[in-house]
Amino acid sequence: MIFKSIKWRLQLWYALILTVLLAGFGFTAFQLERGRVLRPIDEGLQHRANALANMLRPPPNRGREGEPPGEEPRGPWHRDDRPSDDPAPGHGLATRLPEFAGRPFLLPRQLAGLFEEADTNGFYFALSRDGKVVLSSKNIPAGLVFSGALSRPPNPPVSRGAWREMLFFPSPSGRVDGEIVVLVGRSIAVELDLLHRVALMLSAVGGGILLLGLAGGSWIATRAIRPIQEISATALKISAGDLSRRIDAADTESELGQMAMVLNSTFARLESVFSQQRQFTSDAAHELRTPVAVILTQTQTTLNRERSPEEYRQALQSCQRAAQRMRRLIESLLAIARLDAGLESPSESPFDLAASVQDCMELVKPLSQERGIRMFGALNPVSCLGDEDRIGLVINNLLTNAIHHNHAGGEVQVNTRLEKGVAVLTVSDNGPGIAAEHLPHIFERFYRVDTARTSVEGRVGLGLAICKSIVASHGGTIEVLSQAGAGAAFTVRLPSPSPA
Amino acid sequence: MRILVVEDEPDLLASLARALREEGYAVDTAENGEEALFKAESYDYDTIVLDVMLPKLDGWSVLRRLRQTKKTPVLMLTARDAGRDRVRGLDSGADDYVVKPFDLDELFARLRALIRRSSNQTTTIIEVGAVKLDTAARRVFFRGQPVELTAREYALAEFLVLHRGKVVTRTELYEHLFDEDDSTLSNLLDVHVSNIRKKLGAEFIATRRGHGYCIE
Repeated sequence: MIFKSIKWRLQLWYALILTVLLAGFGFTAFQLERGRVLRPIDEGLQHRANALANMLRPPPNRGREGEPPGEEPRGPWHRDDRPSDDPAPGHGLATRLPEFAGRPFLLPRQLAGLFEEADTNGFYFALSRDGKVVLSSKNIPAGLVFSGALSRPPNPPVSRGAWREMLFFPSPSGRVDGEIVVLVGRSIAVELDLLHRVALMLSAVGGGILLLGLAGGSWIATRAIRPIQEISATALKISAGDLSRRIDAADTESELGQMAMVLNSTFARLESVFSQQRQFTSDAAHELRTPVAVILTQTQTTLNRERSPEEYRQALQSCQRAAQRMRRLIESLLAIARLDAGLESPSESPFDLAASVQDCMELVKPLSQERGIRMFGALNPVSCLGDEDRIGLVINNLLTNAIHHNHAGGEVQVNTRLEKGVAVLTVSDNGPGIAAEHLPHIFERFYRVDTARTSVEGRVGLGLAICKSIVASHGGTIEVLSQAGAGAAFTVRLPSPSPA
Repeated sequence: MRILVVEDEPDLLASLARALREEGYAVDTAENGEEALFKAESYDYDTIVLDVMLPKLDGWSVLRRLRQTKKTPVLMLTARDAGRDRVRGLDSGADDYVVKPFDLDELFARLRALIRRSSNQTTTIIEVGAVKLDTAARRVFFRGQPVELTAREYALAEFLVLHRGKVVTRTELYEHLFDEDDSTLSNLLDVHVSNIRKKLGAEFIATRRGHGYCIE
């Protein structure tokens, strides 16, 4: 659960990266320090190894030109015959080693100074042939196993436990060839101790930095998360029903500010949709109130006393008109609700728009004759893609509108055509037209040009809204052109399956 | 009592007018705001039932313009019952507010209350000497006994009682008892007055010659 939280995941990644960086840094620092501590020791080892090698090698001119050895080889010496001068290079000690096996043995003085016997931290050496120690300094550490050392490559110096050792072959070839192997080493216990303390210190400092880093990271993460929490708190209040709330998006430049703005605009749209819905419900209720009032008043007055059959008939007719009006309203409301819900997506099949218009004109003919309005059709066959019944409703609504909002003796022109691959229907009348102030609202639900209901004709103010919904669900458009006093023309554009 | 009913739904207007006439009111009707304002300014109606949604001039505008000249009690009739609308209605000078669909009995009771208030009466029972009027039940008692009056006679008696102490001219009486469709001759008033005197005692209505009638 806690690892689902972005804050904790951020924190975790941050800790991981910080740990890796600190470990890398600490390791490098330790290696540098170790190199710094060990370099003088290795140089000392090298120095001593060179000196030993010099002593072990045969004299430079010896054996050259096949001369017999001209001089008695010098050293190693027994305690008392050690010469006071420095040994010259090329003592050829290697050849005389067997002499000293198991006997006290002294290095030339200068060489001996390099291997301080008394000092346990001092350098030591050991000579070996075939893995067996043949000569060694006294401070050689216990448990030195040559065979183990032999398996190592000669040079460079390596650490073995608390010792630093260097192996080399004094033979000119520099290879293991049955000759003497020399090990030079010294204890590095003190240095190791030092390095150990350095490592501890680095760990402590690294740990400290890690803790500080985590604390800082946590602070940053909390700060980064806080706006998100504020956003979610606001969103929660909005989801609880207070649609008027908005997220405080003061910092609009940041990513979160942009998100807040996006959310705010979503909320604003949501609120407007909700208020439209509320308005729609209230309008619908309002539209139902008047017919109910008619029925209530009629029945209450009529039932007050005995009436003549004629009075009863009139009352019933009045109730019937009211009920018819409610029925029409309910049908319209249901149509709108279905279109809104998008439950029934329009069936898409091609049909002839002109034929549909022709049918609708036949249907409304009685109405137009009753009102003395002439209808003219200029119908070019044009294939149209959509739900024929619904488009029929659109045509019917537009025709009855044109008839209702016309002067007696007026004209209604209906035209269908194919225009740029789109099926176009135009219904125009020469009635009083629509004032410019009403045009933007004409397709709104329950919007009426006259603020009072024109319920006399059973108009409920939903016809054009239904038209718009249907046309929109077909991916078409509906628009109106009108001037007060100069009639109105409604144009519907619908997709056609036969592009020109 | 003469009432102006303004409503653009013809069926509702017709049935309301009929119901009010049967209650003994003289009823004038108007189907749009302009007609309503014209009539309301021309006559002193006892009360006006005014729909809000009207063609030409809406109810609010009619009310606002009427209030510049007259204090006629107005009952607003509306299909909107949002609290905001009620407040707006009462604030713009309406005396009462009824939401559609309404109960006819309630509407009548509210109209009676409006008329009572405008004539400074507080109760529905008014006693004048030996005569007692129950304006709610529209019944009259003389010395404790119920008396049958015709609707016109009752309306005349009630109007005079509600304007008790004032001299009511014949023109006033005529204007308040007969609606625009009545073509009754004004001397019919004398017949009604004499009939009432027969039933409720001659001293109930005093004649002020040259001025009109009065109930002390």
